[in-house]
Amino acid sequence: MAQDYTEWLAINVLNEQQLVSYRSLSRALKIHSNLAKQMLYDFHRKQNAKKPGAVHATYLITGTKRKEIPTNVTHSQRDGDDTVMHSSPPLPSSSAPKPDEHDEEPIAVQTVMLVKEENVSQAKRKFESITGIHIYSLQAKGLGDIQTLTECNRKIAADYASEDPLEVWKQYGTIQNPNVKRRTQRRQPPPPPAPIAKEAVAKATPAAPTTKPTTLKKEASKDSQDSKPASKPSSAKATPEPAKKPPTTKRQGSDIFKSFAKGKSKAKAAQESQESAGSTPKAAPEDEPMASFSDEDDADEGDVDVVEDVSKVVDGKSKKEREAELQAMMEQEDEVMEDAAEVTSEQAEAVVHEGAIDKQESQAAEEPKETVQVENGRRRGRRRVMKKKTVKDEDGYLVTKEEAAWESFSEDEPAPKKIKVPPTTGMNKPTTAAAGKKGAKPGQGNIMSFFSKK
Amino acid sequence: MAHDPLLTYRTLVTHFTDFLTVAIHTILHERNIYPRTSFLSARKYNYAVRQSRHPKVCEWINDAIAAVETELLKSAVDRVAVVIYTKDLKPTERYMFDVSRFPAVDPTDLDTRLERRGENGDPVPIVPLADMDEQFRATMGKLTGCRGVLKPLPEGCTFTVAIELKSEGQPPVGHPQPWMPVQPELSETSGEKHTRNTVHPVRAVAAGELVFESWIEQAVDAT
Repeated sequence: MAQDYTEWLAINVLNEQQLVSYRSLSRALKIHSNLAKQMLYDFHRKQNAKKPGAVHATYLITGTKRKEIPTNVTHSQRDGDDTVMHSSPPLPSSSAPKPDEHDEEPIAVQTVMLVKEENVSQAKRKFESITGIHIYSLQAKGLGDIQTLTECNRKIAADYASEDPLEVWKQYGTIQNPNVKRRTQRRQPPPPPAPIAKEAVAKATPAAPTTKPTTLKKEASKDSQDSKPASKPSSAKATPEPAKKPPTTKRQGSDIFKSFAKGKSKAKAAQESQESAGSTPKAAPEDEPMASFSDEDDADEGDVDVVEDVSKVVDGKSKKEREAELQAMMEQEDEVMEDAAEVTSEQAEAVVHEGAIDKQESQAAEEPKETVQVENGRRRGRRRVMKKKTVKDEDGYLVTKEEAAWESFSEDEPAPKKIKVPPTTGMNKPTTAAAGKKGAKPGQGNIMSFFSKK
Repeated sequence: MAHDPLLTYRTLVTHFTDFLTVAIHTILHERNIYPRTSFLSARKYNYAVRQSRHPKVCEWINDAIAAVETELLKSAVDRVAVVIYTKDLKPTERYMFDVSRFPAVDPTDLDTRLERRGENGDPVPIVPLADMDEQFRATMGKLTGCRGVLKPLPEGCTFTVAIELKSEGQPPVGHPQPWMPVQPELSETSGEKHTRNTVHPVRAVAAGELVFESWIEQAVDAT
């Protein structure tokens, strides 16, 4: 075992001239990440002792950065401002959200920095206190563009997609949230991936706690200014971090999806055992866009059961339609989602259809019920409203159909929420009791009066 | 990248020219032809690449690639080269893409489906284009890694795109003329200069019908 790693590293780093990160090493040799880091260090030292400059390393430094007030002044002067700015301009190498004002108590900022070995001593000087430093990756020749390191993680995700992260986390040493557990039953039908881009934006969410830290982390990473990864060690998901290293926000979109799909940054694989795991985190982020459109979250939870009972009429076509719609929507997403799309669509197939049927059928089921409900003498009255429904053709075309439907309204504006499918179907999810509420704008007094009627 | 169910020569050329565009942007970034800050991080083939932000640069590259594409569609190109010149217009480096192995297709057959046949005439299943992205990714990886291999360029270098045509076929003259005929200076065909180049192989890509090799030639001159 001890000799294996030297050999493996010699083959991969020196012969094949690949970029090897500690994560790739740990996955390849099935060892703990910390052990892998030590192995990298050892190999680096030995090889450079034999022949200096044979192996180049990239380090990861974690710590608190020195607050450089003079530098800030320099920055502002360089900007051509006449007065000294009180709010500090962002330090270029800061990878975490900056403290707000000099005047206020500065927020403790933990910085995680990736540095090439040439710049390590310089980088170390930037830190006030260093909590950790280790080798991130090794390569035979100098690292050109630091974002090539992303390739390591992509390869890991691709090669080790079959491993169940909830089982192997102990072996690899990935940080695990003890509260994470697989859901056995799909409770929340997932909306199409279109609103996933909004997940990162949706702030307030009563979603499952596992996704909360991930969400916060995503937003934090969105704040990061440059290519260095930002991670809060308190985050439950350490592994998705490097996967988010690429500075493009598009990539963040896919990583959000990836990590939500599995709870880890492993690639999605369509496996039965992972279905529910996929569904859990997948359901949760989908709660967020739903939450942002309505505050019926609590109502949703309880109502889903009823909906699932109602929607037992399984139509094979709608299942496939839903699947295909998801896939097409995923493909319509940036090319970013391509990779995610193929694999996710398989998972989506396994996982989504159940929920999809709920939604699809519930929507169908509720429309007649809606009428009934309305006719039960709601004092709000009813009216005929043209509703737009967007469905997917066999050819993959999204077709928006306008349908007349009876609708009870306590509001004046039922229309806006009909523009998108997810909120539409999200709205449909509640039971017939809540069906009449569909016409209500969230957060207005009429909703409460509606409930009081019950 | 699309997995084309219908592989025609035109799609093949399109894939290649897309790749070539990305390669040129990458080369410009790696070799510091333009300031690194003028490059945006983008994503291609599921890989992080750099793309120039300057509109004129992009325009020039697109025009060059379009001209290359025209020649490729005529099946007239032997090699495509991205040549780096010093300030004195001496070529120091060449990034070669040998496309002589592309199928030679009649201009009338540009949109017909390509099918490889074995020796006895039966259709042979070709390597799917699925791993074309994989290979492109590997090539990009190699190209970006070239920074550590090649010696740094002097200041003020510039670049251009050159094609070497197969011996048969018409030279691309006419109006408007996108190509300028030049003397072969650093090419392998000129005998005495040959020994002065160092060659760094990059990648041989073979994805279905898309077969090409790439390498980097560097002039060993001290100047």
